[in-house]
Amino acid sequence: MARHIAHRLMVSLPVLLGVLLIGFLLLQVVPTDPATVSAGPSATKADIDAIRQEMGLDKPLYVQFGKYIARVLQLDLGRSMISNRTVSEEIGNTLGPTVELMLACLIWAAPLGIVLGTLAARKRGTLIDRCIMALSVMGVSVPVFWVGLLLIQYIGGSGWLPFQGRDGPLWTLAGAKSIILPAITLGAIFVGPVARMTRTSLLETLNADYVRTARAKGASDWRVTIRHALRNALIPVVTLIGLQIGFLLGGSVVTETMFSWPGVGRMAVGAITSSDFPLAQGAILVLAIGFMLVNLLVDVLYAYLDPRIARA
Amino acid sequence: MTDAAISLQSDADQRAIAALRRKNAVWRRILKDPAAAIAAFFLLLLVASAILAPWIAPFDPYASNMRYRLCGIGSARCAQFLLGADQTGRDMVSRLLFGLRSTLTIGVIAVLIGGGIGTVIGLTAAYYRRLDAPLMRLVDVLLSFPPILFGLAIAAVVGAGLPGLILALCVTSIPTIARISRGAAASVMQQEYMEAGRAVGLGDGALIWRYLAINCWPTILIYITLQLGQAILLGAALSFLGLGAQPPVAELGSMAADGRKFLTIAPHVSTLPCAVIFLVVLAFNVLGDALRDALDPKLRQ
Repeated sequence: MARHIAHRLMVSLPVLLGVLLIGFLLLQVVPTDPATVSAGPSATKADIDAIRQEMGLDKPLYVQFGKYIARVLQLDLGRSMISNRTVSEEIGNTLGPTVELMLACLIWAAPLGIVLGTLAARKRGTLIDRCIMALSVMGVSVPVFWVGLLLIQYIGGSGWLPFQGRDGPLWTLAGAKSIILPAITLGAIFVGPVARMTRTSLLETLNADYVRTARAKGASDWRVTIRHALRNALIPVVTLIGLQIGFLLGGSVVTETMFSWPGVGRMAVGAITSSDFPLAQGAILVLAIGFMLVNLLVDVLYAYLDPRIARA
Repeated sequence: MTDAAISLQSDADQRAIAALRRKNAVWRRILKDPAAAIAAFFLLLLVASAILAPWIAPFDPYASNMRYRLCGIGSARCAQFLLGADQTGRDMVSRLLFGLRSTLTIGVIAVLIGGGIGTVIGLTAAYYRRLDAPLMRLVDVLLSFPPILFGLAIAAVVGAGLPGLILALCVTSIPTIARISRGAAASVMQQEYMEAGRAVGLGDGALIWRYLAINCWPTILIYITLQLGQAILLGAALSFLGLGAQPPVAELGSMAADGRKFLTIAPHVSTLPCAVIFLVVLAFNVLGDALRDALDPKLRQ
């Protein structure tokens, strides 16, 4: 197990370096010279040069990259060019709502997807199966923003539920109400893939020997499906749900922007459109690293659930 | 040499082989599925109307007329516009046609470039065993990034606009196609004619181009086409966020974002572009599913 984790960490190292390189590049394209800015308008050329030396901007790029990594490790991501707050502070404020939104989406969409997938696999080839699969392919084809627009138009527009921003923490009534529409929007594109993965995985396990044995022992159809087949079929599904977090991330950037949800994705989009490079760098870095960590976690979880993986 | 081999077969044999080939052709198997047949026909129709947009669009998609501002579908105020008008009184039908045209063009350019690079990576990895591991690790790294992050990072570096959008879509399609083409090429590498080609004394370039690429391209091309659906969806999302095509360019994603402000008074302005995107991507995905079933012999039985 420990070896498996160590191996996974080694594999993610180049990815991490790539992410850091992108973050570093983002700071390099800033059109204004940071030394000139921090020297102030009345500075002479000598002053600017002195500050440049002090900031290490005269060093070769790879040295600067090394320093950049050291700074990121200390969570020093610079300051936003617009709000002038530190990037870490901005991220600290937005990370919570993003995680909240993702969890609120997973909590209904994943179980629903698993139920629909199980139903489709059990009723394979029937009308029910066809309908569920048709719904699933529609779910992966629909643009997230259309789901959001329809919900805003019909439910938000009639004043039933709020659709602008986050009205407080999840445990307050106002906060819980304000997360409903974004969570439905994001979940709508997630049910389909989960249902499909569950169906495929379950169809494979339903043919397994131990399922036949359970049948031979006289267990009822649904008992066989749920107790014997589904429990084993869910192992790959858990992994695949984890891997779909990247897909979910794409949806959440759009959803947050549409519903003015104060998350990292919306902040990233805002920072990019307003050319706030340090903030954009921080937001992208956090999203990428967060995604990597989730993948790592899922991988370890998979090895825990299915010990054959770690031994391979 | 091959001519001699073929001429040994009788005419009847050749005709039988040709008939069998036609019967088992992948596209024929796909079209047996009614949903896939409809999707294929619908896509052909859409592509044709996108190509012909300048000739079949009833009005100029950029000609505004405030008199028809946000005119609804079927309203007497703008009876000449079949699907109403947008926030500056432009004909929705024409805008949708031109929007589809630019959305498809962006996707095709990006996926063709990305797919081309991916194919080169895949073929190289399959042909030169030594390069296989490093190239595929690189592909894994690319694949482990969520596509939206590429979109955001590239938009941040090159700025919001079409070049960045195309670059982002291109980069995201490289790893998938690289994997597919490596898989396809690896099975071709096992064929005896590869060895024969080498024995005859052909160089690496000729072997890769004339033997390897030519035998893989149908599979690769099919997957490149399917990648288009995903690219269109991502491109529309980025444009919707304001990071892709910029108004007034008629592009479905940015049209949907533009119309968002008038959702309560004129929902058709944003709903119609969304619906078109949905139908295009749906058609690609239905076709893709049918194709996967047709190519996977395990499921065919």
